[in-house]
Amino acid sequence: MNVIKAIQLYIDKMIEEAGPGMKILLMDRETTSIISMAHSQTDMLQKEVYLFERIDSGRSNERLKYLKCIVFIRPTRDNIIRLSNELKSPKYGSYFIYFSNIIPRTEIKALAECDESESVREVKEMYADYLCINSSLFSLNIPTCLHSLNWQQEALERTVSGIIGVLLSLKIRPTIRYKNGSQPAQNLAKRVFDTINKESSLFSFKPPENGVPPPLLLILDRRDDPITALLTQWTYQAMVHQLLTIKNNRVDLSNVVGVPNELKEVVLSAEQDDFYSKNLFSNFGEIAVTIRDLIESFQKRAKEQKKIETIADMKNFVESYPQFKKMSGTVNKHLVVISELSMQISKKSLLEMSELEQDMACRADHSAQLQRVKKLITEERISIEDALRLILIYAMRYERHANCGTVGLLNALKARNGRTHLVPKMLEYISQSARNELFNTTKIDAVKLTRNLIKGLKGVENVYTQHVCVLKDLLEEILKGRSIDQQYPFISSEVPYRRPPTEIIVFIIGGATYEEAFAVHQLNQMGYRIILGGTTIHNSESFLEEVITATNGAPFKHSRSLQAFHNASNA
Amino acid sequence: MFSDDNSDIMEGFICPICKSDQKKLESLLQHFEDKHSEEKDLVQTFRDVFKIAKKKILNLDESQLSKTFDSTLKPNKSFNQLEFVEDNQDIGLVKDHIEYFTAIRNPRLERFATETNKLIIRLNKLLTNRPQDPQQIKLHEQNLVPWIDGKLVKLCPSCAKSFFLTRRQHHCRICGSVMCNECSNFLSIDDSFSIINPSYEKSKPNSSEEIILKEPEDSIRLCSHCLHLLENRKQMQDSRSVRPPIYNLYEKLEKIKKDVAPDLIMYEKIITSLYDGNSVYTLADAGALRGKIGHSAEILDDLSKKILGQKCAKGSREEALQKSIRLAAIKFIKENMLTLPPIPLEEEIKKIQQKRITEFNQKIERDRRLAQEAFERYDLSGNAGFPATSRTTGSAMTSVDNWSGYQQQTNTCDPLVEQINIIKGYIKQARDAMRFEEIATLEQNLSELQHEYWLRSQQKE
Ligand SMILES: [Zn+2]
Ligand SMILES: [Zn+2]
Ligand SMILES: [Zn+2]
Repeated sequence: MNVIKAIQLYIDKMIEEAGPGMKILLMDRETTSIISMAHSQTDMLQKEVYLFERIDSGRSNERLKYLKCIVFIRPTRDNIIRLSNELKSPKYGSYFIYFSNIIPRTEIKALAECDESESVREVKEMYADYLCINSSLFSLNIPTCLHSLNWQQEALERTVSGIIGVLLSLKIRPTIRYKNGSQPAQNLAKRVFDTINKESSLFSFKPPENGVPPPLLLILDRRDDPITALLTQWTYQAMVHQLLTIKNNRVDLSNVVGVPNELKEVVLSAEQDDFYSKNLFSNFGEIAVTIRDLIESFQKRAKEQKKIETIADMKNFVESYPQFKKMSGTVNKHLVVISELSMQISKKSLLEMSELEQDMACRADHSAQLQRVKKLITEERISIEDALRLILIYAMRYERHANCGTVGLLNALKARNGRTHLVPKMLEYISQSARNELFNTTKIDAVKLTRNLIKGLKGVENVYTQHVCVLKDLLEEILKGRSIDQQYPFISSEVPYRRPPTEIIVFIIGGATYEEAFAVHQLNQMGYRIILGGTTIHNSESFLEEVITATNGAPFKHSRSLQAFHNASNA
Repeated sequence: MFSDDNSDIMEGFICPICKSDQKKLESLLQHFEDKHSEEKDLVQTFRDVFKIAKKKILNLDESQLSKTFDSTLKPNKSFNQLEFVEDNQDIGLVKDHIEYFTAIRNPRLERFATETNKLIIRLNKLLTNRPQDPQQIKLHEQNLVPWIDGKLVKLCPSCAKSFFLTRRQHHCRICGSVMCNECSNFLSIDDSFSIINPSYEKSKPNSSEEIILKEPEDSIRLCSHCLHLLENRKQMQDSRSVRPPIYNLYEKLEKIKKDVAPDLIMYEKIITSLYDGNSVYTLADAGALRGKIGHSAEILDDLSKKILGQKCAKGSREEALQKSIRLAAIKFIKENMLTLPPIPLEEEIKKIQQKRITEFNQKIERDRRLAQEAFERYDLSGNAGFPATSRTTGSAMTSVDNWSGYQQQTNTCDPLVEQINIIKGYIKQARDAMRFEEIATLEQNLSELQHEYWLRSQQKE
């Protein structure tokens, strides 16, 4: 169960079917992203794919009949029309057509009627319809998916196809559970369930052996754990996303002072960058040590090579030079990224921030915490976005506290021209069960704390990683075989299995986070088979956008007392 | 629909040398010039390396450096492997639609083909014995294809405008239907001939691929429907027959790549065999093969440069294609050919071989001693088979040393000896032709024959 591998296998198959010879790959905007997450363009060159073209943007009329054309597109109406036109006056010698999802037969017929020059060789469905990020993490690139706390229609349709794609690409016919009380989760679960039944010929996989429980598709809602999406992160991938933003594996460094031209935008791909794939989940302290060791060994090597006395020595150096450069290239990139992270950590006092965030997330100590928040949010060194994050966490945590100080904090934020309206919006966004859970967190959970002690942690103390996302606890419950029927019922009447499922696909409506990806990774290391996906992968900034759109049009129930701040922002 | 703004992302062009991401092909080529100019001329680099290898002064273990890195990068490696190697994942579900697709397409195409064939026959008739005089031409045309009665047609069937004085009726010369002047197409006589006869050589090389022409002196007027069918036929013919130079160059390039692949594997095999102290392959074999690979690298470099040098419009897709092919060739040479391990030193190999022989002899000695002991202990003098088996282990090796001596002494027409000599001749031939796979098999045969010979001579004694 590896989603990167699943996508790669599909792409390789397409190329293999086209056979030897010069090839062009014709894609749409989404499939371009899908492919680029799994293969680099340089990889594709080695497979004789020399040109790349978008079917949905301005195209030249140049004809290259000696090229084979691999078409990989989503089966949308617009794409079918574009492809029909292409087939009516074909620019390339032959066409190998692949749709990333289920396509109606009528569309196949329409296309067949356009192929007057008999240039189509293959027409297939290959369900690479999602973006693979890590081996066990995928995204659908939907920045915001709810409106008025229910699905935006377009987002729901795309999500259903995306999940169907994941299931078919892994050949899984799952049982489906959803978070009780979440309307979007229930809707999605129902839609996926219906699609599986409607397309039962596609889902006719060999059923699991006797007694082995079927795989589980677990549909969750971000609204049940908004805190996780707001905390300062300390593992590499999560930090980069939080502080620099990762978009389709790319990080924009153009705002970093003194960054060399070729590093203004860098690719961080678990598939192509060994250093990255090995350090995705390392925490900041570990990775800094790793980089330092690498540089030291470089220097040692370089010194060794300086003692060049004979011609042979010189040639030896040349022989090792490409290797040397290759290694230094990726390390250099990460060095730039890490030094930028470290600069931001100190500039924004993120260690101090994180300590307070974690304290509030895990421990009830109202008056002391309120004092600390009050103090921090007025200080210049704390960025206005970070101040908002602190208030958001506080507001959710102590919403029902007798001496709740949210209003006072918001006034302070207002004085700094902060986005105060986000606080009432967040209080609408957070679900009832998340509220209850937060309210019940009265004292530090010793078990949770010990579980999170990371061995050999250097640089970053474990006080910054106490918080445990709801997902991790939930998965552990499931894997232990505890009953979750009350909170996470099946969408259909299922025969309950006593044994826990061995394969789990988790999908979070409203976006997953890299912290959750890390939790899944840790469980997979123990031998479990879990894949995490989300409508998108959030950092706190993109999450706040999600909250704004999701609560648009929703009546204010919980945050009536804070309505003034919401209205003020609209004025 | 989703994924915000400039998502024209394709994970870029990663430099094969320093792994920096250059995003665009142009920038990668530029980067190559700027940053790795010292390695620009691949063949030169390769030659240098090759020369040194020949002189046997080069002995750098490249893997050493990567080992250093591996160990520094280790911390998470074991974890990731757990997650990645996990299982042999099969490809996901694939649903095939081609059967349905062709069931719809092919009958349609057959219909079109029959129709087109009819048109071509008519076109052929129109061109045979075509008169010069325009009046005569019209008669000739009308004679061959019955024209539709214009009185019955009020509107142009193609643009739906009504006919009157200034919009006169015209007839398609091929199907005889009516249309207005604006909706008429013209096919030059030259193009017409090339449609009828694909191998027809045009009088003047046509500039464009398109057939549509604007009323030249002598041409055939036809409707869009007929033109479409004829054009389609012509294009299908062209795409089957037209092979531009880049196509042929590319085919050669790929053939070299394919041919060199077994050489690369064989080279690694020879080097390993040498380091193992085997005598199947010699240092000279390794040198010769390395030279051959170097030559292939040179041709690859050359062919890809030729492809890059093909004439094409600036900024065209063709240009991008040429650059891509060149880049792929550079990458192939870099990754597969320049990274070959160097040829080991002669002294080193001698030492390894010597050591192996010594070990071997020691083992034989030990076996013999054990056999002797057993023989004495159990008084197995009656059992002839036992010592013989223990001896055969070493036979192949000893026979190599004994061989030449026996051959000179006997000098008879022993068929076994003859066979051995033939095999030896084959080995020499195979070596000269660098058929190294064959050498290994032949050497195997040879040692079996020699063993056979040795056994026989033992029995005689
Ligand atoms: Zn480079
Ligand atoms: Zn007309
Ligand atoms: Zn006609």
